[in-house]
Amino acid sequence: MTPECERVLDRMDGPLPPDLASHAAGCADCRALLEGFQVLAPPASPPPAVPIDEARLEQTRRQSLTELAAHPRPTPWWREVAVLLATYLGMGVVGLLWVGRNGMLLNSASPLAVALVALLIVVSVGGGAMVALAPGQRAWPFTLVAVGALAVALAQLSGRSGVQVRPFLAGTLGCLGAEVMLSVVPLALALVLLCRSAFQPVRALAAGLSSAGVSLLVLHVHCPDGSAGHLMLGHVLPWFALAGVAVFIRSRLPSRSFAP
Amino acid sequence: MERFCQGDAQAFDALFQRYARPVQGYLARLTGSPATAEDLAQLTFLSLVRARGRYQAGSRVRPWLYAIATNAARDHARRHRRPEDLTPEGELPLTAVADTPEPRDAGLERAVQRALAQLPEGQRLPILMHRFEGMGFAEIAEALGLTESAVKVRAHRGYARLRELLAPLQQETSR
Repeated sequence: MTPECERVLDRMDGPLPPDLASHAAGCADCRALLEGFQVLAPPASPPPAVPIDEARLEQTRRQSLTELAAHPRPTPWWREVAVLLATYLGMGVVGLLWVGRNGMLLNSASPLAVALVALLIVVSVGGGAMVALAPGQRAWPFTLVAVGALAVALAQLSGRSGVQVRPFLAGTLGCLGAEVMLSVVPLALALVLLCRSAFQPVRALAAGLSSAGVSLLVLHVHCPDGSAGHLMLGHVLPWFALAGVAVFIRSRLPSRSFAP
Repeated sequence: MERFCQGDAQAFDALFQRYARPVQGYLARLTGSPATAEDLAQLTFLSLVRARGRYQAGSRVRPWLYAIATNAARDHARRHRRPEDLTPEGELPLTAVADTPEPRDAGLERAVQRALAQLPEGQRLPILMHRFEGMGFAEIAEALGLTESAVKVRAHRGYARLRELLAPLQQETSR
């Protein structure tokens, strides 16, 4: 599409100025465009009107006004993000106290690696909550969210201690169970808040990764097992699975609003 | 819009009077069913009230409202259509408006509906908003969450494809 074609596109709902008309006459693309535009409805007649049921329209108006009267103050979107993040924080503290009854910070990797990976998880949890709940006409690219999640997973695997303290199966199942249990409340709240906007798979994925990221963080700092197999099966795969569950459940839940 | 966001019923009424009919018309063209359009228009305005905390002050109202209406129609299609009724891309195929009185040139109207139905959703939505709702490309871009140039490319391709699809009919009427 040349700049002239773009100008024709901008101005085709009225008479074209002479320079654009002469361009359109000699341009196959513009002729196709103008004929396609005009064939939808001849310029002399307006588009066919759609019949409107006035009684139903009035019912819609009354219902909307009732809703407005019931909730005269809007809830700002950032308050929902703040509630979600506060819940994450509370759940993280409770989780750390629960799993850390016999010692809280048992990850034996280098303190710098533990801190850097923990920071990365915290950033992804916060960022995921924003991607999930902040309003925006334009959807976040799916690949960006997926690459972010993979980066967190790779960072966790590459910052591992390599030691194995507990038997592989018992340790893996223990971490998997703890991750699922600690994710229930944040995930449920994230889903409730997600239903206040239109369904977008990428938002649901971000919400799932974010809410399950809380338990991932708790396990990261607490878990004494640092073998690649344990981290993959007991920490990272359940995290991805919980995000998938979030997308599945959200796709089945009704939306309370269809706002972007 | 700012007054409506603070709960002013009169401001809502003004928005409703201005946009209710166009939005319902758009939904009828989008779904092919005036009855479905009535339900979706109701959901659109309820969403407008419920989600006004998500409205970004200073942004244009019409694209936001049409974005809500489009999302409501997509959700309806996702929930109420059997998988075999959807296109291979998972989009809703447009069906001819069935329960409306026949327009004066019913044959032409049906042909146009059929041609629109053959366009992918990405081309059909910009054309519906541009040709029938009179929206500018910047507004359409806001409503669909796309860049303005992406909308123009889609509209350009859609109009060219419509011309191809309706060429036989054009030749017939010019004879």
